[in-house]
Amino acid sequence: MSEQKLILVVDDDPDLVEAVSMKLEAKNYRVAKAYDGVEAMDRIKEEKPALVVLDVMMPRKNGWDVCEEIKNDAGLKDIAVVLLTAVADSVKTTSYTHHDGKTTLADDYIPKPIDLDELMEIVSDHCS
Amino acid sequence: MSDTDTETSEKKQNTNAALETVADAFSFRPRVLVVDDEERIQKACHRLLTQEGCEVALADNGIKGLKMIEDAHFDIVLLDLMMPGMSGMDVLTGIKARHPDTVIIVITGYATLEHSIETMKKGAFDFLSKPFSPQELRVVISKAIEFIRTLQDIASEKTRMRVMVNTLKEGVLTTDHQKNIVLANPAFLNMIGSKSQRSIGLHVNDIVKHPRILEMIDQALAQTSGHFSEITDELSLTPEDSKEEKIIGIRCFPFRDRLDRNLGAVTVFHDITALKKMDQLKSDFVSMVAHEIKSPLNSILMQMKVILDGLAGDLTEKQTDILKRSADKITSLAQLASELLDLSKIESGLINQERETLDLGQLIKDQVQFFRDKADGKSLKLIQKPGPEGMSVIANRTNIEEVVSNLISNAIRYTPSNGKIDVWCDQTDDWINIHVADTGLGIPEEDRKHIFDRFYRVKNEQTRFINGTGLGLAIVKSIVESHHGTIHVESKPNQGSHFTICLPKPEHEI
Repeated sequence: MSEQKLILVVDDDPDLVEAVSMKLEAKNYRVAKAYDGVEAMDRIKEEKPALVVLDVMMPRKNGWDVCEEIKNDAGLKDIAVVLLTAVADSVKTTSYTHHDGKTTLADDYIPKPIDLDELMEIVSDHCS
Repeated sequence: MSDTDTETSEKKQNTNAALETVADAFSFRPRVLVVDDEERIQKACHRLLTQEGCEVALADNGIKGLKMIEDAHFDIVLLDLMMPGMSGMDVLTGIKARHPDTVIIVITGYATLEHSIETMKKGAFDFLSKPFSPQELRVVISKAIEFIRTLQDIASEKTRMRVMVNTLKEGVLTTDHQKNIVLANPAFLNMIGSKSQRSIGLHVNDIVKHPRILEMIDQALAQTSGHFSEITDELSLTPEDSKEEKIIGIRCFPFRDRLDRNLGAVTVFHDITALKKMDQLKSDFVSMVAHEIKSPLNSILMQMKVILDGLAGDLTEKQTDILKRSADKITSLAQLASELLDLSKIESGLINQERETLDLGQLIKDQVQFFRDKADGKSLKLIQKPGPEGMSVIANRTNIEEVVSNLISNAIRYTPSNGKIDVWCDQTDDWINIHVADTGLGIPEEDRKHIFDRFYRVKNEQTRFINGTGLGLAIVKSIVESHHGTIHVESKPNQGSHFTICLPKPEHEI
């Protein structure tokens, strides 16, 4: 088996980060954690994760902006980004792929509340 | 108006009993002046009129008569045309100049048509030709009294109306069919920030500057017989002298005569600023609370999931069972918080601002796709029926997706296994329609008119175990209405429900 992939989990709610991390670790991923957008950018540059699970609504720098920075940086753009979005809250809609009228550059999306099993499938799809 | 008020209150104080005042009003004693040079006629009139309950005064020539009229008011004047000295015709003109509302009955010795017309033209109410019988006098006098009473009724009715309209907190503007102002109460002038002292008789454009109000009045006046309807709108008005914006609810409707002809328009202005502020406050509050509740609930759910997955150690069957039930409860709570958030967003008009052209066929396809697993899980046939090509509306994507999603999700929840759910769109002259029809439990008739109310849920044996917040359809309705559409439902218990949403065709949207 190849080297374990590193996943960065970013959300301003530590409980959420913890739960997602435990689930990922159980699936044999290595996990890094960040609690806002600025911290996330630091971690990404330092540790070059394979994938970022990225919350949208965060202090200091929001997820849309972090995503854009990653995708516009030649050195980082291969990192997969999965957005955690609460835009379309109570129902599933397609509109969480859009922000400010343009399609975001994220690789995938999962609405809150997060279905952990679904998230694991998405992560494994983008890490294989 | 204020004079009348003072008079009334003084009268009340004088008589010291409201009852007597009323009695006074009913036992109206007309004051009659007889101006005639013939003593015989004076006496006869005096006797008869006194019997009839009148207060009678006498004058034997025109100059004396006019003098008496200057000194005191008379309701009725019986006036001889042929008198020595000042002519009756001149006296008539003199009385009319001083007291236009005095009823004048002309006594004439030669009742020629020409003469009668001339006196009538000068303002006489009626005439008696000499010689006249007591009966003739009685008839003419009672006709005059009836006339005076009617005038008094109209006057007091007018006063009452004016007091009423002027004390209303609602602004009232009445215009005739040529858009001249017939009535404009202080509340109205205040709302539009008008400083005009006199508005009655002016053209409405001189007072009202707001184009929408003028347009509403035009629309009301343009209505023709048989097609009268009320025009309503909400406007934000900011009077020049105040910085504070006011939200005014406006209703404008035509008024008509007995033949149903359009006579003019009444516009009523209701200040709903406070209401709007409270409503906003409520929405903000709900939104804040819901948001604060929702986030922790979502992380609790994930933590439970981690435990349930055995990542925090092995669980007994009993523990798993309890945790699963708790997780279900928390899921419903989180759903409620989400829907409250949605509702408050819609109510504050936050999420339907961006509108685009939506391909409804594609949108329905996506939604059906989203719900495919859920439907399969209950062995339900969820089918998008083919509709005409190119059905599109101009609307907010998130909103319309939410509408379709809510209806499909309801259909899935309220349709027992092996049922069928059809979703499709079609069009009529002015509307694009979205249909969601199921073969489910249906909605009992008594519940049907309430299903769009917030928190209303149909409660019976069949629905007991179906989860829901009672907000879904309220959200759907708010969205549809904010897109100028309508929603209705046909349903038969145990056969199914058919929801239809009508949205205006793109060419009808402004």
